[in-house]
Amino acid sequence: MTLLSLFAGPPAAAGAESFRDHAKRLGHRPRGDHALIDTLDRSGLVGRGGASFPVAVKWRSVAGRDRGSAVVIANGAEGEPLSRKDRTLMALRPHLVIDGALIAAEAVGASRTLLYIGEAHGAATAAITRALSERPAAELARLTLLGAPPSYVAGEESAAVNFVNSGVAAPLAVPPRPFEKGVDGRPTLVQNVESLAHAALIARFGDAWFQSLGRHNAAGTILLTVSGAVAKAGVIEVSSGCSVDEVLALAGGVSGKARAVLLGGYFGGWINADRAGSMILDPSGLRAAGGSLGCGVVSVLDESADPLDVSARIMQHLANESAAQCGPCFFGLRSLSAATTRIAARQADHGDLPQLHRWTAMVKGRGACRHPDGAVAFLQSALTVFEPEFAAAAGTRGRRAS
Amino acid sequence: MLNDTLLWYTTRGAGAVSLVLLSAVVVLGVLSSLRFEVPSWPRFLTTGLHRNLALTAVVFLALHIVTAVVDPFTHLGWLAAVIPFSSYYRTFWLGLGVIAVELLVAITITSLVRGLVGHSAWRAIHWLAYASWPIAVVHGFGTGTDNLSAWMLAIDVVCIAAVVVSIGARMLMRSPDPLAADRARFRERVSRKVIK
Repeated sequence: MTLLSLFAGPPAAAGAESFRDHAKRLGHRPRGDHALIDTLDRSGLVGRGGASFPVAVKWRSVAGRDRGSAVVIANGAEGEPLSRKDRTLMALRPHLVIDGALIAAEAVGASRTLLYIGEAHGAATAAITRALSERPAAELARLTLLGAPPSYVAGEESAAVNFVNSGVAAPLAVPPRPFEKGVDGRPTLVQNVESLAHAALIARFGDAWFQSLGRHNAAGTILLTVSGAVAKAGVIEVSSGCSVDEVLALAGGVSGKARAVLLGGYFGGWINADRAGSMILDPSGLRAAGGSLGCGVVSVLDESADPLDVSARIMQHLANESAAQCGPCFFGLRSLSAATTRIAARQADHGDLPQLHRWTAMVKGRGACRHPDGAVAFLQSALTVFEPEFAAAAGTRGRRAS
Repeated sequence: MLNDTLLWYTTRGAGAVSLVLLSAVVVLGVLSSLRFEVPSWPRFLTTGLHRNLALTAVVFLALHIVTAVVDPFTHLGWLAAVIPFSSYYRTFWLGLGVIAVELLVAITITSLVRGLVGHSAWRAIHWLAYASWPIAVVHGFGTGTDNLSAWMLAIDVVCIAAVVVSIGARMLMRSPDPLAADRARFRERVSRKVIK
């Protein structure tokens, strides 16, 4: 693990940093206020939950409403199967996350702060629980720990709000969005725990410091979960603006020969190995270019693996994770997953491949949340990057389109 | 003189056409909420007709109102078309018409910008259709020039019967929810387990 900013301090083997060590190393927690939101704006920090949305814009939209009664949800649900970075951060630097949540609450004028943490993430939950017991009573009174159900959509922000309100972590139709009407109808800030931890450091060291951590025009550092065909899979912290090749070198290099890299996780997309290496990892830059760093997943697919099989399994997972609230999502993803699975099993019906192309267009934008859109974007990247494999497996190579 | 007569006939004709169109729109709306579907009549046909006939009805209503207001014999004035029960002439019956139209305007606008107002608000306002339609029918009975002629009565009977039957069907039939079992299973999975 490289030690840059979030992971500066004691090594991972030392486990969770205690409150005393945390305060000694970083000094006392500054209070959050409106000036901090401006600092965050200048810092260029964008959300690390997957959407790469500017943090200052989000905080300002909550702060601008009904000051004093807002709610903050620190989102550590981390339902993305390939991601480990949130639970690792919470397990090693719980006080940084708690600092960030409290600072956010002060900046937006929130009276309640909820730590929404995946109930399956044992080490993270234990570290946060212990960390809470170390905090001053005045802070503790403002914090509530809440276990998030182990599901892909539980971390979607309206699902988090729904869970707090009704005990069911299913996404809601928006608008109203959480920042307008969230927990108990109050304006609610739902922010990923990594984003909050960055904010806690920016509050101490300023926007220029955060900018200086990145390369070129990218700001700050990012947590990545590297997996697949690499020597050392795991969570690493890198400077924004570094390339995929550098990340893979930090992970001990590719074992075997890479066929493609999955960037951003199940809602991200495949990138051909020859293009992936030079890709620049900058959340804002990728977002501006229409791509996405998602939640920082970098997963390498080896040439010996079957890309169709891997893609079909991911589609099955996403289809199973549909909340069954909207027909196009539930039936659409089930059909897409079944057709992909048939092709991967080399048992494709004649029309399966053309149908995949047709159905992807029929699912997009038709759910209450963006779950179907994310699944379809992933499948489209698979259809593009693994075009030769799909064509061969579906037996359509050389066949004229009719 | 010809112009006055033309206006007057247009008001009456557009009113009758509006009644027929709005009744059809209500019936189609109920059918789409029932998820009605047979092989020769897919669901998108119901929703497409519902939307397009509704927009057509708005055009005929506009014609109905504008021709009534500019009619030189009534001298209703524009305010009478906007403020309920402000008309000197047939205050109550015209007032009902104004209310029915204003409810419909709210329904139409919120449907055009459904993405902005959100599903629950849109749905709540759309329920006003069940108020707007009967108020419009009563307006027609109360002040319609042709309300006692046989052809108008026939139109009334057909329209009211169609709407009453479709609403009755909606109240009797529960709309089938093909996702109910899967949704229940999912919600169980993502529910808070123990509340202490």
